[in-house]
Amino acid sequence: MSGILDRLLSRRQAATVPSMDGVLRPNEALDHAHVLASAPASDNLAKLGTMLVFSSGADVLGLPAASRGGPGALLHHLEGEITALAAWDSALAIAIDDIGLRFIGGPYDGLTLATFDGRPVRCITAMVFADADTVFACIGSAQNGPGNWQRDLMEMRASGSIWRIDLRSKAAICVADRLAYPNGILIEGDALIVSESWSHRLLRVTATGGRGRPEVILEDLPGYPGRLMRAASGGAWLAVFAPRSQLIEFVLRERAYCTRMMREVPQSLWIAPTLRAGVSFKEPMQGGAVKVHGIFKPWAPTRSYGLAMELDASFAPVRSFHSRADGDRHGIVSVCEWGNEVAFASRGNGVICALPVPQSNLQERAK
Amino acid sequence: MSGGNTNASMNAQSNISSGSLSDRLVRFRHRWIPTHMIGEVLSKNWIDNVVPAVILVLIVAVFGSIVPNFFLPANVSDGARQIGELGFVVLGMMFVVLGGGIDLSVGSNFALGNLLALALTNVFNLPVEIVFVAVVFTCSFVGLINGLLIGVLRLRAFLTTLVMLIGLRALVDTLLLKYALVISAGYYDNAVWDFMGGGDLFGIPSSLILFIVAAIGMHIVISRTRFGWHVMAVGGSRRSAHNAGISLRRTVCSTYVICGAFCGVSAFFYAARLGNGGSYPGVGLEVLALTAVIVGGISLGGGRGSVVKAVIGAMIVQIINLAVVQLGLQSGAGQLVLGLILLAAIGFDVRWVKNRDKILARVYISPTYFELPPSPSTDAGSASPYAANDRLHDVEVIGLNQVDGPEDVVFDSAGNLYCGDRLGNIMRFDGPDHQQARIFAHIGGHPLGMAIDRDDNIVVCVGGMGLYRVRHDASVEKLTDETNRSPFSIIDDSRLRLTDDCDIAPDGRIFFSEATIRFDMATWPSDALECRGSGRIVCYDPAKKTTRTVARDLTFPNGITLSFDGKSILFSESWACRVRRYWFDGPKVGQIDTVIDNLPGYPDNINRASDGTYWMALMGMRSPALDLALRVPGFRKRMAQEVAIDEWLYPNINTGCIVRFNESGVIVESLWDRAGTNHPMITSMREHKGQLYIGGIFNNRIGRLKLAGVDSDWTGPKSYWGGK
Repeated sequence: MSGILDRLLSRRQAATVPSMDGVLRPNEALDHAHVLASAPASDNLAKLGTMLVFSSGADVLGLPAASRGGPGALLHHLEGEITALAAWDSALAIAIDDIGLRFIGGPYDGLTLATFDGRPVRCITAMVFADADTVFACIGSAQNGPGNWQRDLMEMRASGSIWRIDLRSKAAICVADRLAYPNGILIEGDALIVSESWSHRLLRVTATGGRGRPEVILEDLPGYPGRLMRAASGGAWLAVFAPRSQLIEFVLRERAYCTRMMREVPQSLWIAPTLRAGVSFKEPMQGGAVKVHGIFKPWAPTRSYGLAMELDASFAPVRSFHSRADGDRHGIVSVCEWGNEVAFASRGNGVICALPVPQSNLQERAK
Repeated sequence: MSGGNTNASMNAQSNISSGSLSDRLVRFRHRWIPTHMIGEVLSKNWIDNVVPAVILVLIVAVFGSIVPNFFLPANVSDGARQIGELGFVVLGMMFVVLGGGIDLSVGSNFALGNLLALALTNVFNLPVEIVFVAVVFTCSFVGLINGLLIGVLRLRAFLTTLVMLIGLRALVDTLLLKYALVISAGYYDNAVWDFMGGGDLFGIPSSLILFIVAAIGMHIVISRTRFGWHVMAVGGSRRSAHNAGISLRRTVCSTYVICGAFCGVSAFFYAARLGNGGSYPGVGLEVLALTAVIVGGISLGGGRGSVVKAVIGAMIVQIINLAVVQLGLQSGAGQLVLGLILLAAIGFDVRWVKNRDKILARVYISPTYFELPPSPSTDAGSASPYAANDRLHDVEVIGLNQVDGPEDVVFDSAGNLYCGDRLGNIMRFDGPDHQQARIFAHIGGHPLGMAIDRDDNIVVCVGGMGLYRVRHDASVEKLTDETNRSPFSIIDDSRLRLTDDCDIAPDGRIFFSEATIRFDMATWPSDALECRGSGRIVCYDPAKKTTRTVARDLTFPNGITLSFDGKSILFSESWACRVRRYWFDGPKVGQIDTVIDNLPGYPDNINRASDGTYWMALMGMRSPALDLALRVPGFRKRMAQEVAIDEWLYPNINTGCIVRFNESGVIVESLWDRAGTNHPMITSMREHKGQLYIGGIFNNRIGRLKLAGVDSDWTGPKSYWGGK
């Protein structure tokens, strides 16, 4: 009833998103980062021993510590698209789209888990080893695969779940479900920190699967949070793979239009966040993005953006790294410390780039 | 996570479900229910009168039902007579308040006028005309003293007139002591005098007749004369008025004189009606008049109000006044009722002024249903004539950073290049190399489309101003900024707001487009959002010096060019993605034909090509998400309300192209700058001696492209006016 009244009196709130301010003040750090490797679908970063490994399409590639960049050596080629990666000592856990969870190296070399608790394994978005025998995995959505994450958002799904996999018994138990696209995971003592993309927040989830309500530890992010990675300083790195925008929040409210758009318009041309906007001139354009005097403004409203954050031990942002609307390091899907550098995987532009680990952190590490 | 499906092959725009019932309902509703008129009505100045008018109706209804004999003819006639009397004072007060002042001395002034009128008639037996002139003159003189003190010496209006109120009242009382007996003893027998006091014409009391005449006259003064506008300007903002060269002293002073004069007229009628030589006439009149002004909705701050409001206010106050008496309430109760109503009116007025613009901003934009067929393919490498390419990538750039917003470029017969810019200049690049820009003439506004006439003058459409001509000697001449008003349009569409492009017929008539009548230069995105046919094509005839609208209800008519047959013009309708032809001559005169339907982008200027075809700029390309939104008007309406304008879904004007088409509308070729380095948005192009010159309204450069296999001697002026 109040909905109808609001509509009649046009009383709905304006569509707003949190502004990037304070610690999140825009900069061009990512655009100035040096390129480590180029890979068309550079995705999940992980550290395997001293090597930086990353996935791209069906390949797992590695950069040896001495190389400081280069094309990356092909370590493994798998039979499907890799959707997530995690490493422990010499073991790699690799999630393969439509196939399941594969282990390469380590004590469980060659193991493939195709089902969790009897259900086929699909849409693993992020993983983390708790110890050599335990892996936690995020299932983004029960309906849509990782390639359809835009659809999952536009359908406003909340069907993701977190699983604990005991490799000795091969048993998987669900520790949390009904999450709006969990897309990043981190071990925090005996709990888990999970990024819930479509709710723009980080949650603390008990690792044992107790029925406690997840605790919100960081909310109202100006973008959609993705993978988390532990920082040597004790905090964490958070990849924010796409920005929120007024127009998209508005479209999400407009269910009738949104549904028709999903039905009638090709997915790359939706009014939806993306990892790289501006590929085609048929994409939707917003007012502030009009080029004036041949210049595309860095503050133009955009559907893609490059943003990574450094969080402190209590998961409050302390530093941010940006590539703005006119930049070319969009769609940061993964961040990983590697030696004295921190590497960012820009899936939107297909590169892996690196910056020195901020000086203050190094001092902290030395203490 | 994967990067979304970024390949751009989506020409197979999925089936449009326009046949569904809800879609048909939406279409029906937007076709037949003209909701955009709500905003247009709300944007009119007279809408402010609605509130006092409603109060008036309510008061008549309430008192009509509770006061016995309220509608008795005698009562109505008596009330009307008194409304006339009070009305004069209210008119005077309105002038002062509009000018930003206040006059508290009207009551005493009125008493003085009353006393003088009675003395001149009863005691001195002067003719009525002389009495009238003397009374009005005396009261005006009092007003003049007020005016001199306040307007010229800059004393505070409130204090000055308060002193005048007390001083004059003392004077009147003193005079009364002396002459009261003489006045009441005298008798003045005069038919005119009696008619003024109690006569009527066709049942309308004499004072009311004169009041109506005066009100109409004052309405004309306020709304149609220089003096009236000066008063409004001074009341609205003294500083701005001063800066605009208005004499504050004279204007303010005259408002008090006018106020005094109206007090005199009112006093004259009052004296004629009652012959009351007592001391109470005019007591509290200033409160009554102020209440009427404020209840009518005239802002005490000045600069906002009208005669209609004053009239309504006078009626409301007088009706309440009489009704309170007829109800037999004590006199204090009458004041109380008036005070309460005044309070309510002020409160309402404040809320209304505060919220009117907000409401208007919410309801003015009224998107309509608009359906475009699936866009033709623009994929690079496809067989489509629109296939994207990079032929504009290697243009030679001229005038980089010397021009700001060259919407159109044009050449005179000597080969010099002209373009407009955002600062309102016409810039000139001397031929034949066109390297250095200089300001040729300054007009103002934003010069848009241009054409060269038979005498080598530049005819230019100036956004925000109208149609102008710049001669050889750089002198600027306004051709027209007004056309005939459409009979049933709520918006006054006589003034040209967004003249866009023009071309000249062989007989010298200039046809030009006005993109929209609902928005202006800076708010064109709102028109794009509406997608409503609110533009038109207008014809200026230099021989007769007349301007007539020849075609209406066009969807953002933009570029115009004279076709090679000299009998029709081709014009583009940007948001409708089509090109049409208007016949101004020949057997199909007055008709409009479609030339190209369903373009893949938004067409802008059209100009002749050397081989008998036409160049046309597409300023931006269609996006399926926006095409869909055009079929969901409610989505766009709510977007306008809930999303900041910079975040709106726009037509994608960051990539444009140039197409060439022939007389029958077949696309011959297209030229693109996909990277958008030099020409992200193309609004115009002009062929000249084998080269194509390209302009863009948001650009800071002009592009020059060598054309292969074209007549390298061809120029626009030659094509139009022969080899001269």
